[in-house]
Amino acid sequence: MANALEISNLTASIGDLQILKGIDLVVPFGEVHALMGPNGSGKSTLTHALMGHDAYEASGSALVGGVEVMGLPVHERARAGLFEAFQYPTEVAGVSLRDLITEMVEAASDPVAARERTVQASELLDMERFMDRAVNVGLSGGEKKRSEMFQLAVAAPKAAILDEIDSGLDIDAVREVAEMVEALREPTFGVLVITHYSRILRYMNVDRIHIMVNGRIIESGGPEIAERLESEGYASVR
Amino acid sequence: MSHFDQVASSTAGAEEPAWRSAIRSDAFEAFSNGSMPTQDEEIWRYVDLDFSMDDYRPAGPEVVELADDPLADVLSDPVTALLSNGEYIGDDRIVDGLSVMSLRRALADKPSVVEAALTRAGVPAREDLFKAAAAAFGGGGILVHADRNVVAPSVVSIDSRSGVDGVASFPSIVLVAEEHAELSVVVHERSTPDDDVLVVPQFSILVGDGARVSLSIVQNFDYRARSIGSLRAVVGADATFRFGEIGLGGRFARLHLDVGLEGRGSSANIVGAYFGEQRQILDYRYFMRHVGTNTRSDMFLKGAVEDEARSVFTGMIRIEETGQKTEAFQTNRNLILSEGASAQSVPNLEILANDVRCGHGSTVGPLDTDQRYYLMSRGLDPKTADRLQMRGFFEEALQMLPHPELAESTRGWINGKYETAQAEGRV
Repeated sequence: MANALEISNLTASIGDLQILKGIDLVVPFGEVHALMGPNGSGKSTLTHALMGHDAYEASGSALVGGVEVMGLPVHERARAGLFEAFQYPTEVAGVSLRDLITEMVEAASDPVAARERTVQASELLDMERFMDRAVNVGLSGGEKKRSEMFQLAVAAPKAAILDEIDSGLDIDAVREVAEMVEALREPTFGVLVITHYSRILRYMNVDRIHIMVNGRIIESGGPEIAERLESEGYASVR
Repeated sequence: MSHFDQVASSTAGAEEPAWRSAIRSDAFEAFSNGSMPTQDEEIWRYVDLDFSMDDYRPAGPEVVELADDPLADVLSDPVTALLSNGEYIGDDRIVDGLSVMSLRRALADKPSVVEAALTRAGVPAREDLFKAAAAAFGGGGILVHADRNVVAPSVVSIDSRSGVDGVASFPSIVLVAEEHAELSVVVHERSTPDDDVLVVPQFSILVGDGARVSLSIVQNFDYRARSIGSLRAVVGADATFRFGEIGLGGRFARLHLDVGLEGRGSSANIVGAYFGEQRQILDYRYFMRHVGTNTRSDMFLKGAVEDEARSVFTGMIRIEETGQKTEAFQTNRNLILSEGASAQSVPNLEILANDVRCGHGSTVGPLDTDQRYYLMSRGLDPKTADRLQMRGFFEEALQMLPHPELAESTRGWINGKYETAQAEGRV
């Protein structure tokens, strides 16, 4: 059976600088995995290389629900079922969240279903108050992440990558975001949470943790890895 | 200049007050001795005028035919007025202290009002050939006047039509709000399809002490039209002038704006949104003079150019020695949507006072790649992503228009132009 996300031998570089040196990683449907690693280990590069950011030269394979997305333009990767929740969601001045959602619904393979998801997720995440505000403009860190989670729910991806989802958040907001991820957990998709603190993992049930150092995954295992990192730091795995 | 010499002899006999005749003859002299401006003059830098006044003849008595003004429909119960090649058509209206009338009649009925407006806020004929021509040959035009303490009950919607191939016209639009009056005016500038016309509009605006004037110009000329407009406003103590311009049409369309914040505590809000296509040149020269103390101004223009279009914004905030405690801001942002398009954005400050707050910002560049990436990551194809970003770019300016009712139509025009450019593969 296909997995939500299956990455094989993924490499990525900017110019002559190779950042990802062959990543293999599988997130089965219904699971939440965490990718951890120190700053500069290549976590965000992995996110952007998967999404198709043109700053990166990438090769290898990434199957989303069994469909190869490498080589596709960004929007086709999204349509194939890949979603990126941004570490720093981009401000789109003058475009309301409602306008963006309308376009997302129109671009969806089943707009009727997407519209229904919008209504449900808007209620679940209490989004109506943000709908007429410009996308990410003037929002607090927590509000931006909430908006990202809302868009995730509308997009209903097969695989979601939550890039540094806890960065810039206070402890209450971290818990809130973790609870949103749990609330959105579905057997129809897999989640890869990228973080360099184990803090957020206290509030969600992570099935598996992968440790990335220097462009490689050097260790994968159960939630117990997080506890070890918390006490010993990344020095213990280097 | 043979066409215009004939007009001079015919208008010479018209009965006008001495002060008006004096302006006219001085302007005629300036015109006769003048020549086309060149780029050597700072205020004409960046544009190359590829025509001469001889290419045009003065407007005759014909009425310009165009479909009804669609803007009148979006305004709530407007008083409508029609200018045809600058001549006021229709009946004069005087209701509850608000007068809308031909400038000719106003010269007879309200001579002191017109004299005050044209001597204080008239466009100086000696500044260039076009201003001289307008002062020398401009006949009709319109006066919108609110008496003291009168709050005009509805917006005045002026449909300013120009037309007939080869014709030059000089619409004169005079707005006067006496002390503590309020006036709201929308001018829709249009021209007949495919006709090569020259339009030289002159706006003269007096905002009395404590008065408020809101003016929007929607410049929707046909692509073959050339327009060289001037606007001069003098703002009294504690008075407010709000101005918005939507620049869409004309192969060459220029607006030279000069706002004098003369009264203590006066303020001006200036907004613009423009979109250039084909080989259009949209040329804005905006001057803000802070003369009174405690004056405040904000200038905010956003524009986009595609194909081989060009835009020019040169802004000048000048704060006189008397203009202490002034706040003045100037922002101009430009999107370059095609490789062959370009924009010049030159904000300037000239500050002679020492206790002021000023700022200016100016950008010229393509659509933002981060925004495009973000929107595409939500499944939007690149065209849709760019269209959304383009819409968002103008939204900030549209929200600031003095007449919010115009935002929806403007959005439609600008988005329509952009979508056409996308469909034809230019952006």
